[in-house]
Amino acid sequence: MRAKKKKVTSNHKDSNKSSVTSNELKTNDKGLSLSPDPLLVTCYSLLVTDGVTPHSSLVTIKGSAGGERVPSRILEEQIQHAVQEGARELRVVAEGQHGIGGRIWPKGETVRINVEGPAGQRLGSMGMPGTEIIARHSASDDVGWLNCGAKITVLGDVTNGAFNAAAQGTLYVQGSGGARCDTMTKHNPRFDPPQSWYFRNVGDSFAEFKAGGIAVICGVNPRDPENVLGYRPCVGMVGGAIYFRGPIRDYSQKDVKLLDLTPQDWEWLRTNMRPYLEAIDRISYYEELTRSADEWKKLIAFTPQEKKSKKASGISASDFRKNMWEKGVGQGGIFAEYLDHDLTVLPYITTGADRRNKPVWANEKYLPPCAYACPTSIPSHKRAALIRQGLLQDALELVLQYSPLPATVCGQICPNLCMTSCTRGQLDKPLRIDKLGSLALDLPAPKKGKPTGHAIAVIGGGPAGLSAAWQLALKGHTVDLYEAADKLGGKIELCIPRERLPHRILEKELSRFRELGVKVHLSAPVDRQKFDEIYKSHELVVVACGAHKPRIFAFPGSGDIVSAYDFLRGINSEKLPDLRGKKVVVIGAGNVGMDVASEAYNYGAESVIAVDIQKPAAFGKEMETATAKGTQILYPKFTERYSKEERKLFFKDGSSLEADLVIMSVGDVPILDFLPPGVHTEKGWIAVNDINQTSDVKVFAVGDATSLGLVTHAIGQGRLVADTIHYELMHAPRRPENKQVIPYERIKTGYYDVCRGDFTPEKEADKCMSCATCRDCRMCETTCYWGAISRIEHEGGAFEYVVDEEKCIGCGFCAGICPCGVWEMAENI
Amino acid sequence: MEPASRLDHNHQLSLREFPYIIRWRDDRCKRCGRCTAVCPVKAIVPAVKVQRLVRSEGPVPMPIAVRSTTHVVEQVTDMERYCTGCGSCTLVCPNEAIEPELNPQSKFLHYKNKGGDGYKRGGRRNDPSLSTLDRIKFTRISMLTDPALDAGRHEFRIRSLLGRVMHPEDMPLTAEGGRLAIDKKNNVFVPPVREIFPIMIGSMSVGALSPPMWEGLAMGVAYLNEVEGLPVVMASGEGGMPPRLLKSKYLKYFIIQIASGYFGWDEIIHALPHMTEDPAAIEIKYGQGAKPGDGGLLMAQKVLKLIAEIRGVPQRIDLASPPTHQTKYSIEEAVAKMIQSMSMAWGFRVPVYPKISGTKTAKAVLNNLARNPYAAALSIDGEDGGTGAAYNVSLDKMGHPIASNIRECYLDLVKQGKQNELPLIAAGGVGKRGNLAANAAALIMLGASAVAIGKYIMQSAADCFGDEYNRCNLCNTGKCPRGITTQDPKLYRRLDSDRVAERVVEVFKAADVELRKIFAPMGRSTELPIGMSDGLSINDKAMAERLGISYAC
Repeated sequence: MRAKKKKVTSNHKDSNKSSVTSNELKTNDKGLSLSPDPLLVTCYSLLVTDGVTPHSSLVTIKGSAGGERVPSRILEEQIQHAVQEGARELRVVAEGQHGIGGRIWPKGETVRINVEGPAGQRLGSMGMPGTEIIARHSASDDVGWLNCGAKITVLGDVTNGAFNAAAQGTLYVQGSGGARCDTMTKHNPRFDPPQSWYFRNVGDSFAEFKAGGIAVICGVNPRDPENVLGYRPCVGMVGGAIYFRGPIRDYSQKDVKLLDLTPQDWEWLRTNMRPYLEAIDRISYYEELTRSADEWKKLIAFTPQEKKSKKASGISASDFRKNMWEKGVGQGGIFAEYLDHDLTVLPYITTGADRRNKPVWANEKYLPPCAYACPTSIPSHKRAALIRQGLLQDALELVLQYSPLPATVCGQICPNLCMTSCTRGQLDKPLRIDKLGSLALDLPAPKKGKPTGHAIAVIGGGPAGLSAAWQLALKGHTVDLYEAADKLGGKIELCIPRERLPHRILEKELSRFRELGVKVHLSAPVDRQKFDEIYKSHELVVVACGAHKPRIFAFPGSGDIVSAYDFLRGINSEKLPDLRGKKVVVIGAGNVGMDVASEAYNYGAESVIAVDIQKPAAFGKEMETATAKGTQILYPKFTERYSKEERKLFFKDGSSLEADLVIMSVGDVPILDFLPPGVHTEKGWIAVNDINQTSDVKVFAVGDATSLGLVTHAIGQGRLVADTIHYELMHAPRRPENKQVIPYERIKTGYYDVCRGDFTPEKEADKCMSCATCRDCRMCETTCYWGAISRIEHEGGAFEYVVDEEKCIGCGFCAGICPCGVWEMAENI
Repeated sequence: MEPASRLDHNHQLSLREFPYIIRWRDDRCKRCGRCTAVCPVKAIVPAVKVQRLVRSEGPVPMPIAVRSTTHVVEQVTDMERYCTGCGSCTLVCPNEAIEPELNPQSKFLHYKNKGGDGYKRGGRRNDPSLSTLDRIKFTRISMLTDPALDAGRHEFRIRSLLGRVMHPEDMPLTAEGGRLAIDKKNNVFVPPVREIFPIMIGSMSVGALSPPMWEGLAMGVAYLNEVEGLPVVMASGEGGMPPRLLKSKYLKYFIIQIASGYFGWDEIIHALPHMTEDPAAIEIKYGQGAKPGDGGLLMAQKVLKLIAEIRGVPQRIDLASPPTHQTKYSIEEAVAKMIQSMSMAWGFRVPVYPKISGTKTAKAVLNNLARNPYAAALSIDGEDGGTGAAYNVSLDKMGHPIASNIRECYLDLVKQGKQNELPLIAAGGVGKRGNLAANAAALIMLGASAVAIGKYIMQSAADCFGDEYNRCNLCNTGKCPRGITTQDPKLYRRLDSDRVAERVVEVFKAADVELRKIFAPMGRSTELPIGMSDGLSINDKAMAERLGISYAC
């Protein structure tokens, strides 16, 4: 290559060249340089410039030869060649060539390059240590670009982008800098930091993203007398320092801070000022520039820590609220006048009044299913509780507060709705509440209350009348009981088959009834006149006359049939029928119909068929007994006629049944002709309100006289009416009786094992799940994670479980795990 | 009374029908009850479980029955108390023992119609798929072709104009002392215009939101304006505004909404003589993207003392705003009459604009507004807009996506040469998947002058649990576990309004940064690129064609 170059003269001419040269010199107004046309580069590669004299003390390289501008590439080759050949003093007469003076490796020596004429862009770019460049005139853009150690002195201005990305070396500027000078400068710790010195001022966007190095702006005769650092300097600056003298307008306050010079800064500035001023031929300003540190300021980047804390130390939201917002809208904010609670923030888990829900120990707030289902409201769960406490006798006696006939009713004839609904039935078998009733058989009558002096009449000695009289007598009232028959018991005595109810049990319980001292008037039928007498001689009258008139539907031949009432009453009165070989049909397949069927078999019937117009209402023991004996049930069957001659009962569907005897069991109605007109009836029954009071406030009515029901219904009504009367007579507030039943899911059956075995009261008591009634098991106390529940005992052995509100979070564990469903969660209002 | 019958699971739902199934870990749970205490709907309860094992350890069969009864946390299978997946339980559990899990097999909607009423909820359309907005990319990147801008270095002014922009030639200008001024003698109406940040907080009412949530948003907005110099505005929603704010100097950052229920408007009118500032604008609500054609609804559970007083209604009643404004019978009348009245209330100094739900008929409304010199803008709320209470069917199935709706409205204005005159405000699903700035920029470049956000700010500023899988969405019930959409002090006091304000500030500052990151490479720093659709692409040909943008894949 070198040989080739020597052959080529510099006088080579190209007709296109001059125009291209002028283009190359041109700098566009955005500070971007135009690269040489690639085509021309090819041409110039064949040229070598004369005037290069190696090893001489001063080598001159001209940027223009023969009136033609030398391309940047060629000039670069000439400079590199000269230095390689040993030149250490170069004089370059520039003609706008790019990148003059950079990339020179003098191997530890110093190469001095004097640039005369207009230097192109990037003078001294990628300059290395040992290179010293002095430009005699102003320089174009990017002087000292990526400087890696060259000392560059410009005896004039530098335009845009001077010292961009410089990492080492110095830039001395005799005039001012253009826009975006000193951007992206670095400081590599292996080397000294780069320095840039500007005598007058710098342009806009100075030192953006400066990461290191020192810039000095002396502020002498600045072009903008109000601002020596231009518009928005230091954006993104993260390192290095800027010393400046003179006014500035604005700088990136989020990146840098404005400080006074420290003594060290001042010392450095004074020391380094002298060589700078000497280099730019302005030493005469030394005194002025170093007379006072107060004229100088510096800008340095915030440290990362400072930036972080600066971010955090902006106005906090709470300061804003306090100092601005509430000053504008008022104390407490925009809603304060509407709110009546603290304005503090609550945690998610709260205690006390801040809980959303709270537990309530709702002991006995609800009824257990057994007591709720029992028309007599016998609290079997309480009996179980007493047994669990070892108080078997108390448990048995408790029932007498509710019923005078527990062994008769609970133990024998009641369908035991309590047991049907017993929660235990969901696990294995219901509690044997019937047996508990039977165990009460031999109990004596309980003690009566103190005499009250009130006299009450009860008309009717059936279950309703017995119950009312029993309860009233227990409370200390004087009771007259009028019974038309010669025995007490009403239909229990008259119509319930002895097979279902051994007579001795009834007799035993009736004798206990007698112990209580009710004045019983047997064979004392009440007619209108008698009623008036009774009405006058007593404060209140309870009518419990029952329903003793059988209903008979009229159809052809109905005169030849018998009623269930008469049939059953006949048997119990020892007028025994002989039904041997007979075919019996019972019309009406309810429980009385079943009793009839059983009794018919008992007295020899060959077959018994019960018919009904709908699905039979019979259930329980009555039905079991009757069907076990062979009773057939047919439905729907609408009776058309009975032919005694043919011994056939005909139905509307055209079918017929052989029937030697037809017994109609479609219920009975009361006989009410003894009542005065003041006691209203409705469709044959005594009309009562919800406290069993008739239209005459002195007269109450209970049992079958008001509507047909089970014996237990009659007993329950008797008790309730007695309560009502008692509270009315004694002017005491009426006891609330309308508790709701506890839902089954509240009872946690999981605690109980399925068990087998025979009946003993103790076992049964353990089986009782104590629905809605605390069994004092302490499960809640132990389970509560927060220790908020404790048991406290009151005088007399009563206890309760209480909640410490300050500990309770309202989680509902107590309610969720309480075996008895006693704990419940309520909204914490 | 029910009998202790042997019917057990008849008609009982299995957990599989439920939208979220609670995963509870026996081995981690310490039975502290935090989860059950905090569950907003009581979907989980403490319960008793029994295990019975028969073991035989001897050399011959020697059975020993071992029972153990334990306490567990159990999910209920009652549709009225379904687990909404909110995850409050997970939040408070110290042992990571409990978590709701989305059940993709759920038959929730089959059952959520008890009592013969449709399923009502809050939130927005449950559709987790990628929205049109999220498919739009910014593909015209300037590096060497245009002066590229540096989002981190250059100065930006991301601002929009709210209000009708009068054509310069029509301005009644005069020279006063060598300066241009409005010639007031001329009697020409010069519409009021506000310079705002192009993302605003959309209408969420006092009532729909809890006091600390509403105040937190309001404070954040005031902070952004007063401290950060970012002119963010917020719309009031239709529940009125507290008089304290109406009378304060901060009123200028708020757009007051009037809707068909006119709740709280007597208080606003009473406050008029005491106002020291004009509001930013008045928004007339005709529709809402979440439930187009359906009226506003504030459930009785949320109409407690505060709301009843501010709105001027009795407590604990359902508050319905009719779907249409009463006493208005045509577009012309409805719009013109309302705009006139509202402009008049503030002496024609305040921009007044209607808000409608996204609909195929949006252009008809727009063209009407274009002819009405007092109409300041049109706000369109697309199908992905949120609500405090609506029928699920309205949320999921009613409405028009915002992207093409705003686009065709903008192009319609272009045809009339009025695209720089009447600003369009777009809303509905902006930031649905978290891309607030990108969605906003896409809508702006499709033709919106500004966008409004609601659900996004609830999620990002107050940690709303709601998502597009129907998580939580309890806004209508007054049981918001975050305290955002409830009027129960025990719940809303969980929310710190200072913290909400702080987050609002962060969100908007970040959005400002992100908008720069989008606009800078496209060479925009001070002019909002409204309608600059050549910068947009989408990877679906049909969508590209519909939106009039390029297809890129």
